[in-house]
Amino acid sequence: MIISISIISIYQYISLAPKKVVAIIPEYSGNANEFNYLVTDNLSYWISKVVQITGKATQVNEDGILINGTIYCQFENKKDIQSIIENQNIVVKGKLVGFDELLMEIKLNQCIIIQ
Amino acid sequence: MKTTKILIIFCVLLSLQLHAQKYFTRSGITQFEASEKAFEPIEAINTSTTVILDANNGNIVSQVFMAGFQFNNALMQEHFNENYMDSYQYPKATFKGNLDNFSLISFNANNSYDLNGLLTIKGLEKNIQTTVDVKVENDQIFISGSFFVSAKDFNIKIPSIVRDKIANQIQINIDYELIEKK
Repeated sequence: MIISISIISIYQYISLAPKKVVAIIPEYSGNANEFNYLVTDNLSYWISKVVQITGKATQVNEDGILINGTIYCQFENKKDIQSIIENQNIVVKGKLVGFDELLMEIKLNQCIIIQ
Repeated sequence: MKTTKILIIFCVLLSLQLHAQKYFTRSGITQFEASEKAFEPIEAINTSTTVILDANNGNIVSQVFMAGFQFNNALMQEHFNENYMDSYQYPKATFKGNLDNFSLISFNANNSYDLNGLLTIKGLEKNIQTTVDVKVENDQIFISGSFFVSAKDFNIKIPSIVRDKIANQIQINIDYELIEKK
């Protein structure tokens, strides 16, 4: 009995799906410009971390938005983007995947709108 | 009169040539599959690949973030980033190459192109030669295809305990929709 329960719980642990951004407490919350400095300083620390960024949506695309011209937030749910107007102030939460040297932007994935 | 006409046409053609027409995407799809039959699937998808294509000469650069690969299984994703790819030390893979004989101006129905270039993963370079499908529609360029890489080319160490479960030849699928970069 105990063995079978432990086998089941081990299996459940092994086959767990990755946590969604919604369920993770952000490692950083604050202004986009300030966050830029932090990432330039120590990029590897921020990789895979969930962060919450406040700034202006300087560009609105089909699959994501650009915040303060330097942070590209790609949304999981494209419908969320429809409510965003260019130059609107916004708070988003997402997972940092890296710094894009081709476009000189910080890239966030699985973004959601907080405010 | 005839010479001026020729001169004008020549100038127009030259200006077309000089105007570097770049196409790009931030959300290209790069997928990999390393499953062995009879074992659980080992695959992940990355929907945030950056690709820039020079539509005049076919020069192409792309970049994919390791941390952007999404697995169905959290533990597998963790192992991928921490043990296999060292994603904190080598956050991305890059590709620099050329779509041979591609030019938007002379694009024709022939939509199969040779793609050659250098793939860099974990700081190691490997030459890639493959054929991709290219389609031009509504001001968009679609590039799709697949090729194989092997883990040992990039010094990716696979522990013997799981060696049987991971394919030697890892299939990479690409699917990119590029729009004009203004």
